[in-house]
Amino acid sequence: MIQAYLDGKRGASNVGTLVAGLIFGFAILGFLIAYGVAFGWVPLGERIDILRSNLNTIEYIATVAFLIYAACCLRTAYGLYQREQSSLRWSQWTYFVTLIIGAAILLSVIIPVGLKFSLLLGQEIDLRSLINEDIGGLAPIALSIGESLISVSLLVAGLVALLALLVFLIPPLEPLRDMEGIRLIVAPPGKFVQAILIVLFVGVICVLIAGTFVVPLYPGYTTIRDVETHRLVAGLLFFLPGLFGYMQARQVQEQSDELRRAIALTPGKFIRAELAKSPSAGAIIGFIAIFMGFTMATDLFLEPSSIASFLSNVATKGVIAIGVTYLMISGEFDLSVGSILGVTALSFMQFMTLGAPIFGVMEPIPAALLAIFVAFVLGAINGILLISTRIPSFIVTLGTMLAYRAITLVVIAGGRILRYSDHHESLPIISISKIVFVALAVLGLLITAYTAYRALPLLYQRAMQAWSVRHNNGDFGTSGAIVRIVLLLLVLLILASIVLWLVAVFSYHINAGGGEMVEVGYFDLFNGRVLSIGSEGEFIHLQIPRSANVRLAIVWWFIFVAFFHVILTSTSFGNSIFATGGNEGAARAQGVNVDRVKLQNFVIVAVLTGIAAIYETSRNPGVDPRKGTGLELEVIAMTVIGGALLSGGYGSVVGSLLGALIFGMLQTGLVLVGIESRVFAGTIGVIIIVAVVLNTLVRGAQRN
Amino acid sequence: MQYEQMNDNALVDMIDIHKYFGSVQVLRGINFHVDRGEIVGLLGDNGAGKSTLIKVLTGYHSLTRGQIYFDDEAVKINSPHDARELGIETVHQDLALVPLMSIARNFWLGQEPTYEIGPFKFLDKKMMARESIQALADVGIHVRDSEETVGNMSGGERQSIAIGRAVYFGKKLLILDEPTSALSVGETQKVLDYTIAAKEKGMSVIFITHNIRHVYEVADRFTIIERGHKLGDFYKSEVTENEVADMIVTGQIPERLRLYEEEEGGD
Repeated sequence: MIQAYLDGKRGASNVGTLVAGLIFGFAILGFLIAYGVAFGWVPLGERIDILRSNLNTIEYIATVAFLIYAACCLRTAYGLYQREQSSLRWSQWTYFVTLIIGAAILLSVIIPVGLKFSLLLGQEIDLRSLINEDIGGLAPIALSIGESLISVSLLVAGLVALLALLVFLIPPLEPLRDMEGIRLIVAPPGKFVQAILIVLFVGVICVLIAGTFVVPLYPGYTTIRDVETHRLVAGLLFFLPGLFGYMQARQVQEQSDELRRAIALTPGKFIRAELAKSPSAGAIIGFIAIFMGFTMATDLFLEPSSIASFLSNVATKGVIAIGVTYLMISGEFDLSVGSILGVTALSFMQFMTLGAPIFGVMEPIPAALLAIFVAFVLGAINGILLISTRIPSFIVTLGTMLAYRAITLVVIAGGRILRYSDHHESLPIISISKIVFVALAVLGLLITAYTAYRALPLLYQRAMQAWSVRHNNGDFGTSGAIVRIVLLLLVLLILASIVLWLVAVFSYHINAGGGEMVEVGYFDLFNGRVLSIGSEGEFIHLQIPRSANVRLAIVWWFIFVAFFHVILTSTSFGNSIFATGGNEGAARAQGVNVDRVKLQNFVIVAVLTGIAAIYETSRNPGVDPRKGTGLELEVIAMTVIGGALLSGGYGSVVGSLLGALIFGMLQTGLVLVGIESRVFAGTIGVIIIVAVVLNTLVRGAQRN
Repeated sequence: MQYEQMNDNALVDMIDIHKYFGSVQVLRGINFHVDRGEIVGLLGDNGAGKSTLIKVLTGYHSLTRGQIYFDDEAVKINSPHDARELGIETVHQDLALVPLMSIARNFWLGQEPTYEIGPFKFLDKKMMARESIQALADVGIHVRDSEETVGNMSGGERQSIAIGRAVYFGKKLLILDEPTSALSVGETQKVLDYTIAAKEKGMSVIFITHNIRHVYEVADRFTIIERGHKLGDFYKSEVTENEVADMIVTGQIPERLRLYEEEEGGD
């Protein structure tokens, strides 16, 4: 019908104009809702005060999504009015955004319900007794037997339906690869499949309704956000029409011959294609999903203190994960990082307390350097063993893992716990001139200026180029161009705020006078709380809440990530790492010194582990000989979640960052929502598998 | 036959090459030479030692005994890097490209162009993209996007990229190791065209294959290897396609050619 209108058939004219007007009305509505949410008139979260000015996360998302929604509506209406083919694609975006809004609101119900329900299941075996009686401190619920039976059967039916829905929804991702699969996606799903999907979907709605009735009646898990029925209504109101419209629009478009060749253009596929360009697609999806999930499940998660705590927890492991990613890309594997961490931490402490063989008791910085040199030697031993014996690295590092552990257990300090405070009266302190801060600010400004000089013209150029060819580029054209322009603005904003901040720091220290000295703890410099440097944050002009435990290791970690990312992607050394892991023979035939690359990577891992050991020791100046046990597998997990292939040749440093962040979020988030931390290892296991499956799927989509 | 006089026009002269892998003798005293601007077809059945001979020449394997002269100078080739320095470019049968890397990165692997900022050297990605697309277009391969990964391309496309790269970087000698074994008829014809293009650029070419049909058209001379020994050198004017095919299969020189063979040994 709409297609007929677009083709200019006479009978369809009135309807088309009507639809255009209707969609224009939706646009106005979208703006109104965005306005309402932003100013607190339309509550989507828990509100005590209707005029409260601080929005919660869901409301932020809703505001932005509604603005995009309204813009898409406007463009669709205009396109329909002008009878452009492209209005069909714009209507897809409209429905897609509606889908996202609905799904987000629904998720904010589903996740808390699901969590609470699973916690209940974990405690109570007999559901009926759970609903009728007061057992184990749970409050009794005022439901009649009939009501409770209905609720329980709804829940069970819904859960089964949910599983079946997943099974039905997952396969279409896969067959994209070959021609047959494409045909399968072009053809609208059969009536039978549609009917099943509808039945399943009704089941899911059942579970939600039952959940919202049953679950909130159980107090006791106060950290999980309470379920609100009105959100369910709002969510369904958006989600169902969005889904219906999206399916319809896609069918119309796919039936139109002219657009069939541009089959890869539905918003979902666009996003998948964009993601497929990155090695860490699975990690990006996982990161967003887990972040949003915890944010929606509990109000405690998106707090500065929680974020800071999980960042501080994974910063040291994240530094090691960078090195492990390098090694894994070059096709090798290191199990000995935990032991290297132990040896380095212990030798660092030993050098400062009992003294090194020749140098005696050392100051923190020389001791740190010497300890990192120890790590360097251990890494070199790994590498030399590997390239001289040609034994698989799994075996080599399994051996050295046990052997290095023996060093910490026997050789150093006789297996005792070494504490700094047992040997020194106070923690070491260094005096830093304020000029250092000024110099750092200037250096930061220079780096920012250089980045801006390099990045901005390029981004501008690309955005303009994408904009100018947007019509020849199918649907990617316009949306891709908009994405690029938004990216440009974002980068501009970030750079500008960094500059403003650095200028503030600079002027503060210049005005404070140059000659003054500041006393800073050595350990704080390595990995202390940022606030403990100087007088409570005055020095760095950052608004960090006192409760947030922001440690300096986080800063170092991000610097390392940036540095090693550049090396991996933009130097010939990085190129030879990829080649070594991707096809060792080809690398050798092209003149890459494969053995040297491997040796270098083993040393890089070891040195980064050594640096991580210094951080760990500085955070808690007492070292147990068993320090770092089990670390190697955690770090490998982070790397694999981040998209690196165990077989080598593929991966990214940013992926390892995301992997580490996912790891940390789960560690902190599970505790915050009230799930026992013992579930953590199991959850990580599931996440690894899901992430790798996602990565494989996305790489499959890339082939098309 | 054991001693071959140095040829004035020879670009490469490999004399009495032995290569043992442990106790297995793969090459047992082979003499092999390539003249300037000549296309040599290096023929032999599977396992005859063709690839090993080439891997010795390109530094992938070290030789057990023997001497290599390149451009009239005795050389020692210990690594692929050394071979490259001499101006030898190779397209290996199984070691051509890294599937997970992009076209541009594969093209420049091992000799990436860089620009310097202070002490740091960064890849010149713009030049890598531009030059690789241009160079491949010059040998008749048109790629849309130099950032595409090689793993997504067909066998023929990959082989073409490997050959395009070798032609671009090759200065004196181009070695093609079984370049046509996985290709369709049309793609094979393209490879033969590149070979002639390389010859016209003034390079010598060694074309290794066990399928005489693929090389008879373009080669000037055939060297046939049989179980680590050289069966002989034959100019195209001297032999027919069928005779060469027979020699590869039977390992025997036909009665008619034995005299020529001896004469050639002395020239």
